[in-house]
Amino acid sequence: MKRNLLAPLSGHWFFSWLLGCVGLCAALSGSAQEVSTGSVSGIVRNDQGDPLGGVSVVATNKETGLSAGTQTDTGGVFHFAKLPAKGHYSFAFSSVGFQAQQLSDYTIKANAAISIIVKLHQQTGALNEVVVVGYGTQKRANLTGAVAQVSGEVLERRSLPNLTQGLEGTIPNLNLVPADGKPITGAVYNIRGGTSIGQGGNALVLIDGIQGDPSMLNPNDVASVTVLKDAASSAIYGARAAFGVVLITTKAASRDKATITYSSNYSLKQPTTVPKVVSNGYQYAVMFDSAWTSWYDYSQTPQNINKTQPFSAAYIAEYAKRDADPSLKKVDIGSNGNYVYYGNTDWYHELYKNRNGAIDQNLSITGSSGKASYYVTGRYFGQDGIFRYNSDNYHVYNLTAKGNIEVYPWLQIFNTTQFTSQTYHNPLNVGEGGGIWRNMADEGHPSSMMFNPDGTLTFSAAYTVGDEFYGKNGININQQVIRNTSGFNAKFFNNHFRLKGDLTFQNTDTAAKQIRVPVPYSVTPGVIAYVGTGTNDLQMFDGKTQYLATNLYAEYENTFHEDHYFKALIGYNYEQSIYNAGRTLRNGLVYANATDLSLALGQNITTAGGYEKWAILGGFGRLNYSFKDRYLVEVDGRYDGSSKFPSNERYAFFPSVSAGWRLAKEAFWHVDPNAVSDLKIRGSYGSLGNGNIASYAFQEAFSISQSGRVIGGVKPQETGQPNVLPNGLTWETATMKDLGLDLSALNNRLQFTADIYSRMTTNMFTVGKTLPAVFGTSVPKGNYADMKTNGWEASISWRDQFRAGGKPFHWNVAFWMSDYTSTITSYNNANKALTDHYVGEKIGEIWGYTTDGFWTAADVANAYKTQTIFKASNSNQWYPGDIRFRELPGPDGKLDGVVNNGTNTADNPGDMRIIGNSKPRYSYGFTLGADWNGFFFAAFFQGVGKQDWWPGTEADVFWGQYNRPYNYAMQYQVGKIWSPTNPNAYFPRYKGYAAQTGGGELTAVQTRYLQNVAYIRLKNIQLGYNLPAGLIQRIHMTGARVYVSGENLWTHTPMFKLTHDIDPESIGKSDNILTGTSNNGNANNYPILKSLTVGLSITL
Amino acid sequence: MYQIKKIFLLCLTGLIVVSLLSGCAKNLNQVPQSTASKAAIFGSVDGLQLYANSFYDGLPALSDSYKTDPGLCDFGAIGNVANLIRPGTLTSRQVGSWGWGTLRNLNYFIANCNNPAIPVATRNNYIGLARFFRAYFYYNMVQRFGNVPWIGQPLSVSDSALYAPRDPRTKVMDSVLADLNFACANITAKTDATATTITRWVAYGLKSRICLFEGTFRKYQDSLAQGLSGTASLWLQNAADAAKAVIDSGGFSLNQGGGPTQAYRQVFISPTVISSEVMLCNAASASLGVYNDANWWYTSATYGSRFSFIRKFINTYLNIDGTRFTDIPGHDTLTFMSETKNRDLRLAQTIRVPGYKRTSSGQVISAPPVFSYTYTGYQPIKWCMEDAQYDNSTSNINPVALMRYAEILLNYAEAKEELQLAGSGTFTAADWSKTIGALRARAGITGVGLAMPTSMDPYMKNNYYPDVTDAVLMEIRRERGIELCLEGLRLADLTRWKHGELLLDKWNGMYVPALNYPLDLDQDGKLDVCFYQTTPPSPSIAGVTYVNVAPTIAGGSVNPQILSNGTYGELHWLDNIQRYPKFYNYLYLNPLSYTDLTLNPNLTQNPGWQ
Repeated sequence: MKRNLLAPLSGHWFFSWLLGCVGLCAALSGSAQEVSTGSVSGIVRNDQGDPLGGVSVVATNKETGLSAGTQTDTGGVFHFAKLPAKGHYSFAFSSVGFQAQQLSDYTIKANAAISIIVKLHQQTGALNEVVVVGYGTQKRANLTGAVAQVSGEVLERRSLPNLTQGLEGTIPNLNLVPADGKPITGAVYNIRGGTSIGQGGNALVLIDGIQGDPSMLNPNDVASVTVLKDAASSAIYGARAAFGVVLITTKAASRDKATITYSSNYSLKQPTTVPKVVSNGYQYAVMFDSAWTSWYDYSQTPQNINKTQPFSAAYIAEYAKRDADPSLKKVDIGSNGNYVYYGNTDWYHELYKNRNGAIDQNLSITGSSGKASYYVTGRYFGQDGIFRYNSDNYHVYNLTAKGNIEVYPWLQIFNTTQFTSQTYHNPLNVGEGGGIWRNMADEGHPSSMMFNPDGTLTFSAAYTVGDEFYGKNGININQQVIRNTSGFNAKFFNNHFRLKGDLTFQNTDTAAKQIRVPVPYSVTPGVIAYVGTGTNDLQMFDGKTQYLATNLYAEYENTFHEDHYFKALIGYNYEQSIYNAGRTLRNGLVYANATDLSLALGQNITTAGGYEKWAILGGFGRLNYSFKDRYLVEVDGRYDGSSKFPSNERYAFFPSVSAGWRLAKEAFWHVDPNAVSDLKIRGSYGSLGNGNIASYAFQEAFSISQSGRVIGGVKPQETGQPNVLPNGLTWETATMKDLGLDLSALNNRLQFTADIYSRMTTNMFTVGKTLPAVFGTSVPKGNYADMKTNGWEASISWRDQFRAGGKPFHWNVAFWMSDYTSTITSYNNANKALTDHYVGEKIGEIWGYTTDGFWTAADVANAYKTQTIFKASNSNQWYPGDIRFRELPGPDGKLDGVVNNGTNTADNPGDMRIIGNSKPRYSYGFTLGADWNGFFFAAFFQGVGKQDWWPGTEADVFWGQYNRPYNYAMQYQVGKIWSPTNPNAYFPRYKGYAAQTGGGELTAVQTRYLQNVAYIRLKNIQLGYNLPAGLIQRIHMTGARVYVSGENLWTHTPMFKLTHDIDPESIGKSDNILTGTSNNGNANNYPILKSLTVGLSITL
Repeated sequence: MYQIKKIFLLCLTGLIVVSLLSGCAKNLNQVPQSTASKAAIFGSVDGLQLYANSFYDGLPALSDSYKTDPGLCDFGAIGNVANLIRPGTLTSRQVGSWGWGTLRNLNYFIANCNNPAIPVATRNNYIGLARFFRAYFYYNMVQRFGNVPWIGQPLSVSDSALYAPRDPRTKVMDSVLADLNFACANITAKTDATATTITRWVAYGLKSRICLFEGTFRKYQDSLAQGLSGTASLWLQNAADAAKAVIDSGGFSLNQGGGPTQAYRQVFISPTVISSEVMLCNAASASLGVYNDANWWYTSATYGSRFSFIRKFINTYLNIDGTRFTDIPGHDTLTFMSETKNRDLRLAQTIRVPGYKRTSSGQVISAPPVFSYTYTGYQPIKWCMEDAQYDNSTSNINPVALMRYAEILLNYAEAKEELQLAGSGTFTAADWSKTIGALRARAGITGVGLAMPTSMDPYMKNNYYPDVTDAVLMEIRRERGIELCLEGLRLADLTRWKHGELLLDKWNGMYVPALNYPLDLDQDGKLDVCFYQTTPPSPSIAGVTYVNVAPTIAGGSVNPQILSNGTYGELHWLDNIQRYPKFYNYLYLNPLSYTDLTLNPNLTQNPGWQ
């Protein structure tokens, strides 16, 4: 319960919980025996003295456990006719838009009447909310910068492998896009879009004021998440905060008696999408034959289905027979003594479990005994992997311990210790390396099967799911963070002057052990062979980061002559980080089950170290001044030094200013406060340097790596020319302007906030002027590029209540949307070549050709003239049903008879045009909430209003056999493939490689196959019930609730009209965490999971 | 009491701030520790060696050199006709930039390897290595682009040399020769049983290759060589001398292990390098996890380019008795099974012929040419290891030769014969027998094949080099083709001989006597392939690959795979794709990319290209 008080936005849950319990108890106690009673009546008014109707009034008696509720009538009058005359009563008054009030210690005498007059103060809505800002807090009413905050409530009652996954979509313009659904996948924290195309840079994420990894934090510990969006709010953090700050504040120790809360939930999960492939082996084989043969100009029959299955005309003829008669054997022995398969294998079914479970257990104890208070939580989260074999199990343990001691009334000392341990098993495929999904596309032929009759793996299986069945290959990743913060708060001069200091150390250890051994399979009965014979090794990785941070700051706050409010902050900050790593790989594992480096005996030994140390040092200050709460001004500044810059550019000063005007406080403001209760206009301007750069970027370094060649019997280490260092570097600068408006209206039922902003990122560290190739190495980068990002965000919310069945029904709805676009305004690309950024480029734009349908027998001869740079067959022939590209006029307005990319520049793009944009536009979120009589409901939708996706050459889930003929065939394509009898189909003449090989007609970005991946997703939905207080008090509990919750249960995107096989949120590069920047196919990813959770929470 | 404590805390805070500011500020100076400094690299022999190891990255990548010939040569057919010889498909806008990264790495080393703490001889050994690789780099650039700028030091961003025009061929090639001479003189003389390091003999070997190229180029490419034909003999003499230095070193010999039926191929597929013959190779190693992909590339329907020798080239292999195959009457209608009998034993060691066997899952199996791996029937095995387990991934462990003693012998023979024709020096019968004779003897050839020829082969003259009037030179060129095929040297040979027109050849394959007539290619008693038109014969025979050779196929399109006489004759592949009507002179050089020309306005395009 205390937790809710710390989460200011979550008030409605608290009230609903309370009222629900009270209501039920009242109902339960309706049959109480005859006792002497008294009556209580009263009137409730607002600040202006007008009576308030619809106020809920709850009478509680702690001694008897009784509670009863009523509501005021239109005249503001309430009445309890018969309250038992025993013990002490308290009365709680609440109404939407007003601050709740409680009156205690009323004694009711028999047959006596008490009357109460209550004045409820109008809530200034969210304006009274305390918002966390840099090195302090502020009332929302006094904010002048662009700041958004949500309470930890948004993370509750959900099954979240990590915190980052839970924050997606909760805050306008905090853009978190996880690469896939893997439990260890976090996301880059981006605020307000385009940052830098040079050094890059993301938002600074601070946990209780200290840099940390949010993915390693216990979501249950989060009290609030605040996003500082504009330069003025971020400036106090200086060079690290050029692209905004995310402040995560953890829950504080309670000042009351001890409370123990136990919560637990259990979830069942499954992928949001599982590609539906043609799993009938015969149909697959026929489609393979067709795709292969047509690419090879119909002149030959394939000999194999890729590597693992022989193929011939005789085989397909026999397959037809076996397919028609299911009683025939599915495996046979061929004339050469090898197995012949007639399978119907859906490899996705072999790969994934039908569902996987997850469990979350959280225990927290908080309380205080006099001058010491404490907060301790422990959590276990475990998620079974999605894979049927060698599954990717995931476990996290969190421990947090906080303590405060009031040494003197003016001095508090506190300490916080956090420990997190996360383990994850990532299975690997050694056959060809890379992610399992791409390997399945290559070798997961439905015509093959998983096992031979003798139980050994088939050749196809060994390359794919069989490796997981074998179960020996994978990486075990263990990440541990231990962090301790000690500090003090001191108050002087009647709390006008405060001094605060803290010191944090944080050790992050990442250890990974990778084992790869060959996988046995059998092609001939009794003969075992292996795939991955070249890969038989063990790798140990250990990386440690030792981080140290200290802050010391002083604050002075006072109000002079009533109208002049003044606050000043000055402080000092130092941080350093030391990273050390070691990597050892050795081959020749002595037997397949060996799991220790001592048992790797081969001669291929690779070792590598790693070291980085950086330090920053800063002095910062902030001045706040307000006059009559009407005119608000804030000035921030920070002087920063960073080891990442050369000594002559090491220090820099970053100032910013912001101001606000609360119109509603003006004397001339005569609008009824019930209509518009508060209106504020804000503006800010600030300029920040981007210090998010790599260490040592400005020093000549000879990096040493292992040669890929065998020279003299060893793979020697080698080094080479260092990069050419640039001259005269300076900081990248992000300058941000922001104009905002905050409005509370209609008795604070309506809240509206909107901001428009522009961010100029200047002097971005990008490529220098291109030099002739004889320069021989990359041209040193310099401060050459500028980019402008314009955007806006707005949120509107409404909350209200009415009575239903005699009980108050509270409901609320909120909607937000944000958008931004970034445009390059300066870049070294004089010719505007499309291979690089150019001035005027809108980030994300997609250039492509215009598809003009298909060639027909009548006109296909023209294809040879106009489409020479494209291919639709191996020998460059064109057939009816191949893609016809439209010729568009060149810069001179004329058609040149050829479809090409001109000079591949923005000014002469030939027949290419901008056909879409890959950046998400109009991101939005939508929440609904309601509670009644102990029941509560909440739903949270999230989505993107506009986004285009080009599937890319390796997106085999999209292209199926158009990618490689031996890929699985996609069920969704059946019936959508061109044929003489289906000339208007979506896809062209069936053929392999068209979407894979250079120049292939489907590798050309084009209009017809560009996908609209705008989407809306029901991110979370919850339904729960708070058990009535009367009931649970009997078993000495103060709160208990049960709920069901669903994650990602429903999604819609226009792309679903074509295919449901791809999740619109998982369309990026394949298996990012493992394969880094290489790409084994867009959307070939660990699936995003949907889940159904049941849970309970008990407070003692 | 509180006040005193408060004042104490404030003072302490002030003290901490002052000490933190001074103490922490020095932490803002950070130097990398996981990388090395310039002084460390150039100040020790280990540092020089560490740097020199990166030079080797200038050699062809592990799996590249055996793909060079298949990319563009007259030996065989591939999946599609190269853009270079197809009208309208290649312009300067489509080619990539010429790469110069390798050169800068070498120049940076040469410019900085001057630390007096290291003995001069040691430094010169490493500078010699760098200059060897610089010569190798420039040789490739001159081959591809003709005249190029000579750059001898690392350039700074503002160097005017960045915008230099091309230098005359003489300046560049004289500098290359100077580099080679320095390398030959300064690289430590030693032998390397692994054949993976650059020794003095490898330097001489490269010198013979480059000088032979330059000498013959200046002789035959009259217009491209810009009137330098008078200097050809100087280069040929350098080529002959360098080759002779290798021969005289006595360190190398032709492999005879395995006897005539295996000695040639062992050089390419033996897992252990045969360093008596292989002077330099890209080594593979199972224990170090380094592999090449030759089997996969040559034995896959989809992975490689399905390179298949053409019949025209296969015809140049002599009979085992030294007589010419093409002198046999009716040789052009012999089936695959007949024509592969009694030939130069290198044929059976270069392609799959009847009787070729390999291992699959531990069993020895007969392995006929596979008609989804080959277009012509002549499927190469030169680089392919015998066990089929290597076919499906990058797992070959055979070293890939980059320079062989056999090439040095061929270089020597050709340079000497060219010198003789130019009237300076002689190519004697003894020279013949220790070069061409030795190569033929190793291939099992007997009789007239071992002696210096006395008559011109009309087949070679009509089909290959009509301008060659000397029978000995003709045989040297025949030998060079057969011995060195698929080793990546063919395009340079055609260029220097000015016979690019051979690249325009239509691709012919084995002789098909009739339709619907299954053939047993490997003579193991089982039928392997059957050619049909439009509808395959029914019922289909298990194990037989059916190939459609109808003139037109689905939708009325032209079938790229046809028979020369419609229903019988030689297989032909991609006759329907238009090649240039003649090999224009400008095609010998690559175009500079449009981008490179724009970046440096002082560069001019190679004539003929736009």
